[in-house]
Amino acid sequence: MSGSGKSTVSEIVEEVLRDAGYKVEVLDGDVVRTNLSKGLGFSKEDRDLNIKRIGFVCNLLTRNGVVAIAAAISPYREVRDYNRKEIGDFIEVFCKCPLEVLIDRDVKGLYKKALAGEIKNFTGVSDPYEEPENPEVTVNTDLETPEESARKVLDKMIELGYVDIERLKSAIGTEDEEKIKKRLEDLGYI
Amino acid sequence: MEDRKVVIIGLDCLEPTLVERWIDDLPNLKRIMEEGIYGKIRSTDPPITIPAWSAMMSGYSPGSLGLYGFRNRGDFSYDALKLATSRTVKKKRVWDILSDRGKKVVLLGVPQTYPPNRVNGQMVSGWLTPDTSAQYTYPTSLKSELVDVFGEYIIDVKDFRTDDKERLLREIYAFSNQHFDIAEYMITKKNWDFFMMVDMGPDRFHHGFWKFFDTTHPKHVPGNELSDCVREYYIFLDGRLGRLLKKVPEESVIVVVSDHGAQPMMGGVAINEWLIDKGYLAVKDYPKELTPIRKIEIDWEKTKAWGEGGYYCRIFVNVKGREPKGVVDPGDYDDFLNEIIDEISNMKDESGNLIGNVCFRPGDLYREVNGIPPDIFVYLGNLRYRSVGSLGVGGYITYDNDTGPDDANHSFYGFFAMSGTESRGVRDGISIVDVAPTVLSLFGIDAPDDIEGKAIK
Repeated sequence: MSGSGKSTVSEIVEEVLRDAGYKVEVLDGDVVRTNLSKGLGFSKEDRDLNIKRIGFVCNLLTRNGVVAIAAAISPYREVRDYNRKEIGDFIEVFCKCPLEVLIDRDVKGLYKKALAGEIKNFTGVSDPYEEPENPEVTVNTDLETPEESARKVLDKMIELGYVDIERLKSAIGTEDEEKIKKRLEDLGYI
Repeated sequence: MEDRKVVIIGLDCLEPTLVERWIDDLPNLKRIMEEGIYGKIRSTDPPITIPAWSAMMSGYSPGSLGLYGFRNRGDFSYDALKLATSRTVKKKRVWDILSDRGKKVVLLGVPQTYPPNRVNGQMVSGWLTPDTSAQYTYPTSLKSELVDVFGEYIIDVKDFRTDDKERLLREIYAFSNQHFDIAEYMITKKNWDFFMMVDMGPDRFHHGFWKFFDTTHPKHVPGNELSDCVREYYIFLDGRLGRLLKKVPEESVIVVVSDHGAQPMMGGVAINEWLIDKGYLAVKDYPKELTPIRKIEIDWEKTKAWGEGGYYCRIFVNVKGREPKGVVDPGDYDDFLNEIIDEISNMKDESGNLIGNVCFRPGDLYREVNGIPPDIFVYLGNLRYRSVGSLGVGGYITYDNDTGPDDANHSFYGFFAMSGTESRGVRDGISIVDVAPTVLSLFGIDAPDDIEGKAIK
């Protein structure tokens, strides 16, 4: 749902994978709706079409060796299952967060407007959200840090063999960077 | 071509005029030159270790690579200089392409290979490895194998900007000796079609010892006891090269190459002192002692430009809407650059002589400009002066280095020699980006269509 942490977790996963040398593309819901799905509304048909389009692009990317991360509100089980079958190497990440926490966060001020009736078809308020029955990963974004959530996603990717643990391990971390900076200082470079 | 083997011995900073001067004392280099082709190789702009080796081994200029130094701006904030690691290189380097084609590769100490990548072979990462606790080999098991045989891997010479020259001599020899020992081991024990090593020793040697042999150096003391040490080190390197090549199959192609050369450092320009003098930079508290610019509180609302230290000078402009507290209107940006370039070009030393600074905008240098380059590149005294980023110097011309004694700066031309092909003689006009397509052509592999170099024949 809106504000559940999809983009934040995606950004961390993206950065780790890029650091490890993977090609990554994030299809963020907000960005997709201004480009790929411009003109689509929020009826069930339009929402399904939006998610199918995202799934289609993800399929093209994954079959060419790019890790595709879709960070979009996808309220209906049926279309998520459709994409799962189409794509194959697929992980469904359920960004779970109680509605009251989301209303409290309300980063974009959307819940306030939805609750006031100013936004129609708002997922979780005036439109349904069908929770996944068997997601590969559930991240509890009200209880975990974004880094912990991202770790869960990456662990599942490793477990399913979608990414290589050695490659991820060899990615440079903040601690490494600090050590290198210290060495450069000692060498008189900085 | 199916069975071809190619060996690259990289000697960081090896200076072609010194090779020429002492060639009769360097029999192994002389033989490679006589049996093949050789010449000066034009380094990257800027001519510094990173990005030079990655440009050499990818065939793309720093602009395409988005690499302008070992630290580059990650965004337009004031303190976001990010380290250039192996992950920063988005183009394939020769070993990636060869690995994809099933060729076996062995790499040792090549700059910008930490963290190590998966290759079809073996890799020991180079100079910007954090410390020996890091996973600096691919595969991981190679690390313990090498430690068992050679002890702790020497990533670099500690504190090479020092007045303790005796210790420095000892450490550089130990550093180079270990790398050649490991190279001999890898070249003998491992399966390879492409072998490449880079020794940083010559770079450390030039910075530490240039003034002792060069009678034109402002700090040269005639008759000093180290006056022959650079020649002796070149002879030592030549000897290790000869020993290594005895272990290489005879029909191999041998390339000896440096990423840039060296020249005497005449002094330093404290660029931020100069920018303050000219009213371009304002600080809240001028330091009482020498202090790096990053540790000084800058008055950004009154600052139009600031500079970074290093072997070349980088000027950054504080642009409104781009930097967090930018003041230069984007509409005035070009005029401002022209103004500051004009001022820098007219910079004089304390005797009133022009220093001979050379300025570039990134678009002047590169076909493509990726990442976030400095707004202006400055070669102070055309690289005969170093850029001093610190404040507290007292004036903008200095003969001391804020980061410790250092008597050489980089120069634009490195050394190149290649034997083992039909070609013979001197080659002019070789560019550093020509090496990658040359190696690929030796294996009969087409270079990427948009590569900037061309194969050396």
